[in-house]
Amino acid sequence: MTAALPGTPAHHTPQARDRWLARRRWARAGWLYAFMLVMSFFFLGPFVTGLLSSLKDNPNEYPPTLNIPQLTPQFITRAWQLGVQGGGDGWQGGLKPGRSVSFEVSVQSPAGAPQTPPTVALFPYQPVSLVAVARQAQAKDYAALTTEQVAQRNDVRTYRVTVKSPVLTRQTGDPVRAVLVAPDANLRARLPGGEVVPVVLDTPEAQAKQYELNEGQAVELVRGPGGYALRGPLFERTPLQVDVVRGQSIVGSTLPPSDRQNFGRSFAYRNITPGVLGYTFNNYRRAFNETRDGKSGRSLFFSWVMNSFLYAFLRVAAAVVFCSLAGYALARMQFPGKNLIFLGAVLFVQMVPTQVNLVSNYVLLKDLNLLNIWGLWLSGLVAAGGVFLMKQFFEGMPRELEESAAIDGAGTLTTFFRVMLPQAGPALIALAITQFQGAWNDFFWPLVILRENTSFTLTVGLSNFRELYGGQGDYGLILAGAVLSAIPVIILFVVFQRYFVDTGADSAVKG
Amino acid sequence: MRQHRSQTPTAYLFLAPFLITTAIFFFYAFGRALYYSFTDFNLFNTPKLIGVAPYADVLGDPSFRRALGNSLVFALVTTTLQTIGALLMAVALNNKIRGMGFFRSAWYMPSITSSVVITLIFLWLFQRRGIANYLITQWQAYQPLILTFLGTLLALQVGQVLWERARRLPAGWLDPALAAVSALGALAVTGLLAWTGVVGAREVAPFDYQYFADKWIEVGGVRVLSVPLLVVIIQNTFTTIPTLMLFFLAGLQNIPGALYEAADIDGATPWQKLTRVTVPMLRPVTFYVVTVGLIGTMQMFDQVAVIGSAAPPDTLVTLAYYVYTNTFKAGAAPVNMASAAAIILALIILAMVFVQRRFFPSEAS
Repeated sequence: MTAALPGTPAHHTPQARDRWLARRRWARAGWLYAFMLVMSFFFLGPFVTGLLSSLKDNPNEYPPTLNIPQLTPQFITRAWQLGVQGGGDGWQGGLKPGRSVSFEVSVQSPAGAPQTPPTVALFPYQPVSLVAVARQAQAKDYAALTTEQVAQRNDVRTYRVTVKSPVLTRQTGDPVRAVLVAPDANLRARLPGGEVVPVVLDTPEAQAKQYELNEGQAVELVRGPGGYALRGPLFERTPLQVDVVRGQSIVGSTLPPSDRQNFGRSFAYRNITPGVLGYTFNNYRRAFNETRDGKSGRSLFFSWVMNSFLYAFLRVAAAVVFCSLAGYALARMQFPGKNLIFLGAVLFVQMVPTQVNLVSNYVLLKDLNLLNIWGLWLSGLVAAGGVFLMKQFFEGMPRELEESAAIDGAGTLTTFFRVMLPQAGPALIALAITQFQGAWNDFFWPLVILRENTSFTLTVGLSNFRELYGGQGDYGLILAGAVLSAIPVIILFVVFQRYFVDTGADSAVKG
Repeated sequence: MRQHRSQTPTAYLFLAPFLITTAIFFFYAFGRALYYSFTDFNLFNTPKLIGVAPYADVLGDPSFRRALGNSLVFALVTTTLQTIGALLMAVALNNKIRGMGFFRSAWYMPSITSSVVITLIFLWLFQRRGIANYLITQWQAYQPLILTFLGTLLALQVGQVLWERARRLPAGWLDPALAAVSALGALAVTGLLAWTGVVGAREVAPFDYQYFADKWIEVGGVRVLSVPLLVVIIQNTFTTIPTLMLFFLAGLQNIPGALYEAADIDGATPWQKLTRVTVPMLRPVTFYVVTVGLIGTMQMFDQVAVIGSAAPPDTLVTLAYYVYTNTFKAGAAPVNMASAAAIILALIILAMVFVQRRFFPSEAS
């Protein structure tokens, strides 16, 4: 380095010069770290903001803020307590028959302004999308509200709103959770054991509601002498609206509002009995709960996750077996047509766009009745890229292994399965990981081949989410779905990082 | 030789699953697509040969020409941006410093996540009242402070470098130690000015740009690049830079250090080292990266399909998406046109790879 300092004058001592150079080195490292950090923000930023915003009530909040009540311990604790009050469950929350919930609202009414208590009402909540077909019972049609003033400090009054959910039967006993099934003349419900029982409506209040309850509605029953009596429907959420008159303002409440309107005089609380999952992870819970198949009532989102796992697993299994076989043959065996196969079936295949095969493969799989996960798997059974990877790997292995196996009298098959394949561990892991990632993130073929929304993989399902919810700007659900679908690959990446970083790059550079 | 012959059946046995599926789902499909592209097939009738009419139909279809234009612009712009970006990032990352593992993994995140997830996040970021517009609003609001900072930084740096040179120390214009001092000084000056109220944030109206609308960048009255496609270009560059960076990193590690030492002895500046040593030595990798980039970007589909109806069709249609929509058009689908378009797409990609191989030969291939 000293040679690079031709202008260094004589009156600078060597020590001073060394210090000068050291200072420069430190500063250089400092700038480098600063640059790295900025780039890390750049590359991680979209994911982190997406993740944080997916927890918000309204991810489209403007101006956006990183102050998220859903992550505040105070509000999470309250969400838990309200969940326990309403549904007896601090995680899931909800409102059960016979429970009552108190929710406090503080209203500021300066001197001269009206001193009236706020108007409170429950409002209906229905999922916005068409995916959720069945209409669920609403707390507003059942529960009763009362408001009382509990405290006053200066001009701020605190009111307690009590939501009481009625019991629709005179029977007493242990309540059982059940789900209504398609009704005939009478209501019927499926018990947790799978048994379908008729539902008895033993009070006028219960009978008044019998035509409002739909198939798929979760209810609570009590076993009585005449059969299972309806205690009441179970509500997943209790949406509350609080309005004050002009001159007053709402200055505090047990949970922060989901929405403010009418110049801050009208507050909407999407759910006052959320529980922790319903509060902090509301959008995630919605992703699973609001996408139900009309026929079976199963969560579509859950099916998509399962389909993605199944497809990824099938792809990995096939690749590990078939790609290593083909790669080994191309790397180590002598046979006519070897170069042609390598050029034609490995290199050319990777160069031609998949859209060329779209029509033919679609028609073929349709004729075979394979427009499902199995058809998807079959059409991409052996990935050319995987064959290439395994070929490169086997070419790099020492020949002595095979030669010594041959001297010991092993045939080709024995050599492959007993000697070569056990040595291929790292390459097989790399292959499995890239195949899993490829299958999990695959979009084009699943979109083409999967036609039933129950057989979608997660990527196709998410793009469906975009169509259904994007129009309404309901990005909470979309972001939650996106975060959930990114998690498996991120976990895989964190665990097997070096395989992600090692695959491909070296072999491609060395040609 | 006898041994070779005896290996032939085993080899074909090993290759059988691969060859059979490739034959059915690739070569047979390829042939059938070629055949359909000369017929009147519409997914429901029996195909009948009608010559090159589908190709003429496709070339005459304004939507196809838009798709072709969009695809080419997208491929060229994205490949250029991602190659340059990946190269620069790799050069920065090639320094041996602590914590490199963390940075590498952090930067690699966009590459492992699916394009669908990233497209959804970008759709959200680039909404009308989204984070992208919010950041632009903030930039406009804090412009006086930022400009003050940058101006002071520049002035301090120039002053310091001149002073060092007056003391006959060989300080470069970008000397890192001096720059650190300048940055701290500029921060202090800006903080002081903001505190005394001389400069401050401006009041600006929220920046309300709608990205996913029928907006175009025109050159000489010709629509070249649509704004939604520009967002997809940004997104694609963002996701591919880390992957391509790895290829460059592997390449950089193969450059002998002696070359840099020789450059140092000749008194080369960092910029000269980059352009005269690093870039020429990375030619084989660059060749590979550009080839992969072109093949990948010409087939761009996922982003368009996910954005779908959120943007006007013309602004985003690409060749791959054109093939898809024509195959699954409601009613009678012009599958023959879709096939013709797919064949044209394949020819373009093969031609691009061929031209690159022919005119930019590399040592590696």
